[in-house]
Amino acid sequence: MSINLQVNVGGLVMKNPVTVGSGTFGYGQEYDQYFDVAQLGAVTVKSLSLKPRTGNKPPRLVETPAGMLNAIGLQNVGLDAYLRDKLPFLRQKGCTIIGNIYGHSMEEYMELAKRLEAEQGADAIEANLSCPNVHDARTARGCKLVAQSPERVKEYTQAIKTSTKLPVFIKLTPNVMDIVEPALAAEEGGADGISMINTLLGMGINPETRKPILSNIVGGLSGPAIRPIAVKMVWDVAKYVKIPIIGMGGICNADDAMQFILAGATAVAVGCYSFRQPDAASKVIQGLEEYCIRHEITDINKLIGAMMV
Amino acid sequence: MPWIADCPITSHQEVAPGHCRMVIHAPQIAKDAQAGQFCMLQVQEGLYPFLRRPMSVERIFADGLSFLYKIVGEGTRLLSRMTQGETINVQGPLGKPFPIDPSFDRHILVAGGIGIAPFPALADAIKRTLGKTPEVIIAARTEQALVGNRDFRQMGCKVHLATDDGSAGKKAFASEMLEKLRPGPGTVVYACGPMPMMKATHAVCEAAGVPCFTSLEAEMACGDGVCLGCAVEANVEIESERMVRVCKDGPVFDSKLIHWESY
Repeated sequence: MSINLQVNVGGLVMKNPVTVGSGTFGYGQEYDQYFDVAQLGAVTVKSLSLKPRTGNKPPRLVETPAGMLNAIGLQNVGLDAYLRDKLPFLRQKGCTIIGNIYGHSMEEYMELAKRLEAEQGADAIEANLSCPNVHDARTARGCKLVAQSPERVKEYTQAIKTSTKLPVFIKLTPNVMDIVEPALAAEEGGADGISMINTLLGMGINPETRKPILSNIVGGLSGPAIRPIAVKMVWDVAKYVKIPIIGMGGICNADDAMQFILAGATAVAVGCYSFRQPDAASKVIQGLEEYCIRHEITDINKLIGAMMV
Repeated sequence: MPWIADCPITSHQEVAPGHCRMVIHAPQIAKDAQAGQFCMLQVQEGLYPFLRRPMSVERIFADGLSFLYKIVGEGTRLLSRMTQGETINVQGPLGKPFPIDPSFDRHILVAGGIGIAPFPALADAIKRTLGKTPEVIIAARTEQALVGNRDFRQMGCKVHLATDDGSAGKKAFASEMLEKLRPGPGTVVYACGPMPMMKATHAVCEAAGVPCFTSLEAEMACGDGVCLGCAVEANVEIESERMVRVCKDGPVFDSKLIHWESY
């Protein structure tokens, strides 16, 4: 039985629905020593900013029950070094690339999108409007992420869309009252897809020292611990938006991935589970095919949003 | 290139209160491993603990490796319950090894507590490649926390013991013991232990004008340079390159590179 795993995410053709969460896969090369990363439907690269970023001071990471809390702070090599040092590997491998971008202003997002397209640095743009780790938790309060304000999501999406012809995906934060609102705003702004969810805000305190565990105090929670929340949010958004969704949040295996697809995601991303099992995303691809065979489904597209209630 | 393999546990024993030694059968990893490198051990198949645990390679054998570890939390507590005959999923070898330079004729290994873990392999390598026997300073809070001194004596190393409370060896810190050994020209120091101990050891080496290589410990998610969670501050001019990864750029660093003022 021949199975079609190919999906189209708002104009980005992926040979299978599996990508990786930005920041959990470096720039692809690191994990190519464990499996052929060109197998992936797409490689989503670590957030790129115009200038390199140092990131937060340590400690930046702590394990939590069935997950982890991180406050890396978007440490990255910057766009120029990416194009010069990281991109050739991905292109030579023949990878489909989702370029995740982070800017300090709307103009920076526009510039990043423009340059990524001009220098063939990506096949689609994923705008990270939702990193929780780049603000000072001691002083910032309230609406501080672009993705927490539907008006700004729409405005940013429109701006990025005018700067590139590449498909534009908007990465949303779950740290909102109702994630459907920014999702609809992204759609109205012309987004070609929605990536969801980014990490949930969390923190830990060492009771012995009475100090926060992370130097940034607050970090982002990821891993299987957040999966039910992510699946529910994808289901919520899929009911209201027409543009495709890349679902993510604690995916470890094909069964987890299927939950997102059945909830309405067109594609899925394996996140921090790759840290534990570097070839996890490859196993998910294999598992999705096996799922289709077992359920006698010839085209995975038929399973998108196919939860039976 | 690192391997990921299910490795049979050939021996697993408590060697001192709260300290265990695990020996695994892992011929491929053993073939590639060098002193100073580490492995990521997957404690259980389920999702708890979620992440692997980084462990220094204690010794490298023809067909396997040993790890010496202290039970510090849930992960190591669960690990300590595994028994001979079970298999454990191991990723490695990872990280940069200790540099072994023939131009030095005196090698001093400075261990603080469980910081002793990577040194038996280093002592083996120095003996094998240079035909020299290193001196070892083993320091710990109390006598109970001193591990490994018998192993080094068996290797013919001169061992200097120190405890914070004087319950065994000299009542001194590791760095004070090092100072007494008068490191001078031709000496190279290797240190592993708590950050304040390595910071003090680095200071002694700077004053004596001898090189010092420190092996750092950090919480890690991936162990292979991807997550950037284990980064520490380094003395690097370019700000964006100031954070170095313990897992990939280390765990062994020339002590001059580390920005000790932050620790």
